[in-house]
Amino acid sequence: MNTEKFKHIDDNQLLHYFYTDKNNEWLGILLQRYTLLLLGVCMKYLKNEEEAKDAVQQVFLKVIAELHKYKVDYFKSWLYMVAKNYCLMELRNKGQYFAEIDDRLMAAKDETENADTFVEKDSAYANMEAALQQLNKEQRECVTLFYLQKKSYQEITAITGYSLLQVKSHIQNGKRNLKIMLQHLQKND
Amino acid sequence: MTDKLNDILSNSNKNIDNQQLMDYLRNQLNNADKYEVEKTMNDDPFINDAVEGLQKFDVKKDMQTYVTQLHDDLQKQLAKKKKRKDKHRLKEQPWVYLAIVIILLLLILCFIILQKYI
Repeated sequence: MNTEKFKHIDDNQLLHYFYTDKNNEWLGILLQRYTLLLLGVCMKYLKNEEEAKDAVQQVFLKVIAELHKYKVDYFKSWLYMVAKNYCLMELRNKGQYFAEIDDRLMAAKDETENADTFVEKDSAYANMEAALQQLNKEQRECVTLFYLQKKSYQEITAITGYSLLQVKSHIQNGKRNLKIMLQHLQKND
Repeated sequence: MTDKLNDILSNSNKNIDNQQLMDYLRNQLNNADKYEVEKTMNDDPFINDAVEGLQKFDVKKDMQTYVTQLHDDLQKQLAKKKKRKDKHRLKEQPWVYLAIVIILLLLILCFIILQKYI
């Protein structure tokens, strides 16, 4: 199917069409948008090209069978959770994963929305600079280079001498710590 | 400065198109575009996991072959499901189809009678 002509229709609209007429063609268009991402997610967890491909097929089947049962608001987040849970379940069946898998498919929500709401609070900005100074040296360095100086991972590895993995980890942990610090500061305000 | 500080906590919620992602994986983007992809990765665990997984593929061109195969399979699945659904619908409402056949037969009968007597 040529999905190019539906490019201007966003996910929410396609989802709305699907729930209205239950026509799986809408679902096909939606799923095809995410095939490459799903392949990547399954490859990350399963670490085998053929298994990853099979897993994507299974995720498609699961979505086709289950989407009409729920009212999903954020298709992308929901799809990510379905794929991740499927892969973790596969690993658990192979005895490679033991943690509890969250199978509450309905719980998928758009994380970005919460973050945006959080950021909208003006007081957060006032405390940001102070919080940034409280990060450890590595995290502060990577967060500053990435967010304030807009350097790519590769450039940051060249500047700091950290590995790519370390850079990613410092940025992600730094961002998480900043959020925690700001939440504390906002509570105290 | 404040704008840049805001960037740290604001999530872009931006979608990356497949071509941009492939270009990133093949290291064919300039630093500014590369940064945009990485910023989205940082904001979106789905894209982050996907990129980490796609980087594990031996040959990048195989990914496109896999994607094409998966799309074909998906279309087959959807067509199969549609066929089953249509069949099911026919089984569920046999009276509707029977009524249509009876009406058609009656119309033909009326036509024949009218031809004969008028």
